[in-house]
Amino acid sequence: MEADELLVLVAGGDQKAFEDLYGLISGPVFGLVRRVVRDPAQSEEVTQEVLLELWRSAARFDPRRGSALAWILTVAHRRAVDRVRSARAAGERERREARRARLPAFDQVSEEVEAGLEREWVRRCLDRLTALQRQSVTLAYYDGYTYREVAERLSLPLGTVKTRMRDGLGRLRECLGGAA
Amino acid sequence: MSLVGRLPRRGGLHSLAAPYALDALDGAERDRFERHLRSCDRCAAETRALSEDAVRLAWSTAAPAPAALRDRVLAAVRTTAQEPAPGRGRPARRLPPHVWGGPPTPERSRPLGRRPPLPPFATATAAAALVVASLFAVQADRTRAERDTARDRAREIAHVLAAPDARAAHGEDDGGRGIGVVASASEGRAVVTLSGYREPSGDRVHQLWVMRPGAEARSLGLFEGDTPLVATGLDRSATSLAVTVEPGGGSHRPTSRPVLQLTLESVGFGE
Repeated sequence: MEADELLVLVAGGDQKAFEDLYGLISGPVFGLVRRVVRDPAQSEEVTQEVLLELWRSAARFDPRRGSALAWILTVAHRRAVDRVRSARAAGERERREARRARLPAFDQVSEEVEAGLEREWVRRCLDRLTALQRQSVTLAYYDGYTYREVAERLSLPLGTVKTRMRDGLGRLRECLGGAA
Repeated sequence: MSLVGRLPRRGGLHSLAAPYALDALDGAERDRFERHLRSCDRCAAETRALSEDAVRLAWSTAAPAPAALRDRVLAAVRTTAQEPAPGRGRPARRLPPHVWGGPPTPERSRPLGRRPPLPPFATATAAAALVVASLFAVQADRTRAERDTARDRAREIAHVLAAPDARAAHGEDDGGRGIGVVASASEGRAVVTLSGYREPSGDRVHQLWVMRPGAEARSLGLFEGDTPLVATGLDRSATSLAVTVEPGGGSHRPTSRPVLQLTLESVGFGE
């Protein structure tokens, strides 16, 4: 069964359906959270929160608004970003960040390169973006920086960053196109 | 505000659609943008499309989740109640004004080294579910007032949970009925959840009170089902919380014996 159908069953309190749904989405959710949060223990914690929220509020899913997986990953991403920002604010990550800062953002994607068509495909499409589009998009999405922080890191005006983000997402859509 | 004053700001807000889709707005800007979305259908449609683009970036990140996580999550699910579908919930009830609390205070982060003990399950998940509810406020099929209320409440809850001195307490009777509290003495706030209680019959309600030595019980608000109640303005001298069943709309002082009481000592109060 697909995530969308399972989620409807989950909304009705079906625990078995939740187990199946867990099998489908735990990898994507955990991977995304870990990509943003980095710290393994915190990533687990955020993933657990997200999955429990999903159980609690499955009834809020509206299939007319998009796929279940997209909905779940959107929730997970926001949670991950919120967590990484409070961690940063607490200054706990600064030293590790400083070490990573020497690498361009996009190279970080390759840290976790594994086989997988989708992974390869996203990478190829990211390659088609201009450098500034790619950095603007990935610093925000994968590293959890606000567009203001991205502008600062790339020494660009705020307006330019907003435009690069929009154009970058547009190109990504063209490239990844009908695969949703 | 004059129209002239608003126009440039709207244009400025509109350009935030892509950063919003990438979760690249800070909390205040995110809230402002979400408010804007509610009054701008075109922006909402565009933002939705951009969000769909952004989520494609997650395709490249999947990684197997640790096996222990599965056990924890599935065990948790077996004991966690679900929210009713939107629209089928009870109509919003008018609560005393102080239940809504003051304006949101700036977010504070929790030091990583020292985490507060895990809050009781029901409380933690109910609070988390509300946060998600607010997250999807734009899409959810609710009135604006309900969305505002849910979002304010979610913010309050998140704030209490994030306080450096947030601590949890939980009490349960033999019948599995319980009360969960996450409280921050420095903030003077607490998130309180009832679990396992049936709604009182008729028009009656569960009302939450705070007790202080030598003072009358003060109302902290009325419960709506298992929705967490955010209590603000708690004095450090508060010794316990109590829940009574009261006539619809609540009472000025308790008119019946508490159905349950929880001491606040373990969460940093009762000085």
